[in-house]
Amino acid sequence: MAADFGFNKENPQIMWIDLNSAFAMAEQQARPSLRGKPLGVTNRISRECCVIAASYEAKSLGIKTGCRRSDAVALYPKFILLETDPPKYHNVYKKLMRIMKDYSINIEMKSIDEGIIDFHNTEKMHQGRSLKEIGHEIKQRVKEDIGSYTTINVGIGANRFLAKTAAGLNKPDGLDVIDTTNIIDVYKKLELQDLTGIADGFGSRLRAQRIDTPIKFLEATEQTLNKQIFKSVNGSYWHKRLRGYEVDNRETNLGMVGRQWVIGNPNADDSYLRSCLHFLSETTGIKLRSRSVRARGVCVWLGYQDGTGWKERKMYKTSVHSNQDIWLRASRLFEQRPKGAITTMGMYLYKLSSSNHSQLSLFDDQEKAENLTTAMDEINELYGSFTIHSVDTLEGKKHVKQKIPFGGTEYFNLLLKTA
Amino acid sequence: MDPSVLVNERVDVYVVYRKTGGTNQIAFPQKMKYGNKVITFTELGMRHPTEQGKRMIHVFDMSDGSNDYRLEFDAERLVWMLRTIIYGR
Repeated sequence: MAADFGFNKENPQIMWIDLNSAFAMAEQQARPSLRGKPLGVTNRISRECCVIAASYEAKSLGIKTGCRRSDAVALYPKFILLETDPPKYHNVYKKLMRIMKDYSINIEMKSIDEGIIDFHNTEKMHQGRSLKEIGHEIKQRVKEDIGSYTTINVGIGANRFLAKTAAGLNKPDGLDVIDTTNIIDVYKKLELQDLTGIADGFGSRLRAQRIDTPIKFLEATEQTLNKQIFKSVNGSYWHKRLRGYEVDNRETNLGMVGRQWVIGNPNADDSYLRSCLHFLSETTGIKLRSRSVRARGVCVWLGYQDGTGWKERKMYKTSVHSNQDIWLRASRLFEQRPKGAITTMGMYLYKLSSSNHSQLSLFDDQEKAENLTTAMDEINELYGSFTIHSVDTLEGKKHVKQKIPFGGTEYFNLLLKTA
Repeated sequence: MDPSVLVNERVDVYVVYRKTGGTNQIAFPQKMKYGNKVITFTELGMRHPTEQGKRMIHVFDMSDGSNDYRLEFDAERLVWMLRTIIYGR
């Protein structure tokens, strides 16, 4: 049966590791009195803040990621909400990475709470032990090095997609393998949108062609997927992905770097707002330089209390690298904003290029500014973040804290680099 | 919502350094004198380092079986601070 679909018959060599409810579990690990209780963490406790990670106990009550504080309390009045503690999560991330690196040189963190170990070419190192056995060992090491309450989900598959699917089958604390012997059974138990990468958009396209289950998705020909559903090479990718062939090991290019901030007081005055934006510009500059890139495009965006938004972006002929230049360009855009009570602000830099290949400037001033930025970065790296910063950001620094971003690993990698 | 009670007081701490165990088990604060009480810890929830400029601060989240205590050891000044307590289980 399995052979009919042309599945990848290779012995599964990809392991997906997923820390269960990572931030919430780190808090429960650190503080035993919180274990077994519905709790969540948020970046900054405010009236309208939302939960960025919920414990399993909270999830079972319907309190999930993105749930507003007021909704969570309505569901469970004793709901515990904590502010994020980045050094704590950084420590967990670092320890998890260290454990994973002991098993293969090919590891990749996919987000701040999940990563992949590629076991190709590690047979000699593991002396014939099965990946399932190694998976159980990693679970035990997580308990010893991170803490006895911490659990992970382990998924094993022939490609990243199947390994991630396997890791999601039995949460929390599961260990599952998807191979040619059970892949059909797994697909039969899943809904179409349970598949990673199939959300409302692709889900609607598939259903429009009467493909409403993973099995029907599997049965669709490559031609149908390419020409009628995805209308691109994505159809071929999905055809391969569902069969266990690797199509997701490509590096994605960094498209933009930026930061955003929710303003506590929508009626804040202009100098306060400018100071916050200046602070965001400086922290965006740190992120930019940590990735060794420069940017030509600058965008500033605002959200207003009445629900409207405003965005202004500009592409420049020359790229920016120093805090001074970033702030200069961002502040010019900010001056063009419409009047009104601002609730959120953000900025990002785009059209990125490697800073190693920048053209030498004909003018001394630019070189001086860049040298000054490098010196400031080195001092801040040695003596702690924001030991030196623009005086204009003093007010912003008091309010805009370093927060845990959703998704990517850049923030923790930046910490690792400076650790 | 956050059950932590701020303390921020210097405390006396007795620590045991073990020669074996995972990275979370090597240094174990065993007892703490806080006010007139001696609190005996039964579990180390998590230890993690954090930096304040050049100063390395080691955070120890400890439990005595009913309350949780956040202790911080300043590796430069060699002082222990009790930062917060969460009461009751």
